[in-house]
Amino acid sequence: MKFRAKIIDVGCLNHFTRVVNTVSRLTKACVLRLTCDHLYFVLSGRVASGGVSMWCELSQGNFFDEFQLEGVSADANEILLEVAPENLSRALKTAQNAKSVKIKLTKKSSACLTLAAELPSLSSVSRVVTHDIPVDVIPRRLWHDFREPQMPDFDVSIYLPPLKTLKSVVDRMKNLSNSLVLEANLNGEMNLKIDTDLVSVTTHFKDLGNPPWGDDGSQSSSPHRDPELMTEVCVDIRKLQQFLTGQQVHPSRAMCNIVDRRILHLIFLHEDVSLQYFIPALA
Amino acid sequence: MKCVIEGNGIKVFGKAVHALSRIGDEIWLDPLEKGLAVRTVNSSQSAYACFCFTPLFFQQYIPEPDIQKDCEAVKCKLNIKCVLPLFRCASWRERSVDKCEISINIPNSRVIFQFHCRHGITKTYNLGYQECEALQAVFPAHLCPNVLMAQSKLLGDIVVHFPVSQEEVTLSISSFKVTLKTFCEDENNCIRGMNTELMLHADEFDYFQVGEDSAVTFCLKELRGLLSFAESYGLSVSSQFGVAGQPVFFSVKDMTLEAHVVLSTLTDPNHKSPSQPVPGEDCPVDVPKISTAEVSTCEGPMETEVCVDDGEQVASSQGSEVFNPTPHMRKMFQLQTPGEMLPRPRLAPESTLTTPVTPATFKIRSLLFGAVYTDVVDSKSVDLPSLACSSDTEE
Repeated sequence: MKFRAKIIDVGCLNHFTRVVNTVSRLTKACVLRLTCDHLYFVLSGRVASGGVSMWCELSQGNFFDEFQLEGVSADANEILLEVAPENLSRALKTAQNAKSVKIKLTKKSSACLTLAAELPSLSSVSRVVTHDIPVDVIPRRLWHDFREPQMPDFDVSIYLPPLKTLKSVVDRMKNLSNSLVLEANLNGEMNLKIDTDLVSVTTHFKDLGNPPWGDDGSQSSSPHRDPELMTEVCVDIRKLQQFLTGQQVHPSRAMCNIVDRRILHLIFLHEDVSLQYFIPALA
Repeated sequence: MKCVIEGNGIKVFGKAVHALSRIGDEIWLDPLEKGLAVRTVNSSQSAYACFCFTPLFFQQYIPEPDIQKDCEAVKCKLNIKCVLPLFRCASWRERSVDKCEISINIPNSRVIFQFHCRHGITKTYNLGYQECEALQAVFPAHLCPNVLMAQSKLLGDIVVHFPVSQEEVTLSISSFKVTLKTFCEDENNCIRGMNTELMLHADEFDYFQVGEDSAVTFCLKELRGLLSFAESYGLSVSSQFGVAGQPVFFSVKDMTLEAHVVLSTLTDPNHKSPSQPVPGEDCPVDVPKISTAEVSTCEGPMETEVCVDDGEQVASSQGSEVFNPTPHMRKMFQLQTPGEMLPRPRLAPESTLTTPVTPATFKIRSLLFGAVYTDVVDSKSVDLPSLACSSDTEE
C-alpha cells in the first residue's frame, strides 16, 4: 500500500483545508477512502453517531498536483483509513502559506498520514514542518460499510433557501425545541416548524425551486403527485444545526431530499466537492 | 517600596503578570536598587521566570524604606490569582487608567495597587502578602555552549505549529539546523496523538552558536507566556542551553525591562556522562525549609558569590542576597543522625530533580538546575548548590 500526494497551488490548498475543516466540524472520526481519482470522507450511519451518515467526495485532480496510489491489491486499488479529521485540519491550519504540502502514508510506530509542508523562511533553505497523523487502516472485509450511499427513494426534492437565512432560523429554533419538522412540496415551498408546549413557530419559504431529477432520477412520486402536498420529516435540530454551522465551503447548489417521515438527505454541491449528509427521522 | 507606573506601562506590567501566570501560582516581589523584580516558579520547581523592571520603566520608583509613608524594602509574595484580575480588561484600561501606584504597607501586610483613572476615579486594591525570602535562580547562562537569538516573530511562527495543549517539546541543535518536535513520554501516547516536527536552518536566526550538538526537552507551555510577551513588543528572544538535563534559558531585554525564563530539561536516560549527576543517586534533593531567622543564624555571613567561575550572575540577582545553600546543606547533613537515609526522590518527568512529598514542618524542597554546576563543582561532591530556592511555605 502506498500513497503520496502533493499540493502546490495555494488556492487548492486553501480549498482543501476548508473542506477538511467542514468535515472536522461534522464528526470526530471518519473514514478517508482513497482511490486513483477521488478522495472520500465517509461517515457510515451508526447508532453511536445518532444515525447520521456523511459522504464527502472530492475529485483528486482538482486539488493535487501529484497523486500516486497503490491500493491494497490490484483489483482493490483503494486505501481506506480511519482518521480524526481534526488532526488533519490542525496540520493544514498552519500550512496555509506553504510553498508545497506533501501527504503520504507512512509507518512510524503505527500507520500514519504524514503531512509535510514547506514553509517560506527567512533564509534560502525552507522551513519544513512535518505532522504525523495517526490512522487506522481499515481491512478489506469491512469496506462494504463505506460504499457510496444509494440515493434514497425520496418523495420531494427541493433547493434550500439561502444558507445564511436557514442557519439563523435553525439557530433560533434550537433554543426553543430539540426537534424540528422540515416539510416541503414540489411547488418550491418549504416550512420549518417547531412545536412545544409553550410555543409553536413556523417559518415559511417559497419559490425555492425543485431540482429536475428527470426520468432516470429515482423520484418515487408519480407525475400525478399533488405539487401542493407536503412531505415532512422530524429531525433532531442539533444535528441539522451542526451541519449548517460547520459549512466552510460555500456550495454552488444546496438541496435536500425528503423521504416522508424517514430521512432528510442534504446535498451540497460545489465544482469539485460534493457533500451528502443523511439525518434520520426522530423515532 | 513604592512605584508609579504610567499609562502604557500598566499594559506592559499586566502582560508581564499574565506571562508569569502561565508558569506559577504566586509572584514574588523584590524591590531592588536596580529595579523591581517580579518572579515566579512553578509548583514542581522546574520552571522559573523573572521580570525585572528598571527604574526607567516607572514614573517614580522608590525601593528604599520611606519612613513617612511606612513603606519598606520588603520582599513578599502574592497569589497571582489576586493580581491578574487587576490587569485584565485591556481596552478599559487603555482608555481610562492614567497611572498605577504600587506600594507595600508593612503594618497591615498589604501590597496596595492603586489605579488612578479618568474622571477622578481611584480604584484601590489591598492585597495581603506573605513575607518571604527572595526567590531567584542564579543561572550561569554564559557557560551554555549553545546560543540562539531570534526575533520574537520567528519564535511565534515556530510554536504556532504545536497545539496549545502540547506540554513537552524537544529542541535539537546541530551544525546547521534547529529542530523542534513534540515529545511523547511513551510509545502508546505517541500513537494516539499527533506528532509535529519543525526544522529550520541556522540562517533564520539572528545569532546561532553551536558549542555542542544536543537535544533538550522542556515544557513549551511554560514558555509561551514569555514568547507572547516578546511578540507583543517585538523584542528579540535569546536562548542559551546545553545538553539534555541542563536547564534552558530564554530571555528578552529592553531598556526598561529584562525578562527571563529558566526551564529544566529532561535528562537523557540513554546518555550517562560521568560528570552529570544521575537523578536519584547523587542528588541531595532534601533541603529542609528554613525560616528567615534561621537562615541568618545558620549561614553566618551571606556569600554573594555562587559556585561559578567569575561570580557572574544573571542581572536580576545582582545586589540581591544569594541564598547559597552549600554550607547550609553541609550543616543539615551533619544534623542528620549517622546512618539515617535520606529519602530517595521520585523522578517527576518534567524536572531533573524532584520535589518529594513529605509531611510536617520540615518541607523538603527540590533543587533546581543543580546539574548546571557539573562543570565547576567537583563531581564527587554530593552537595549540589541550588539555583532557586524559595524558603517560604509549601502550599
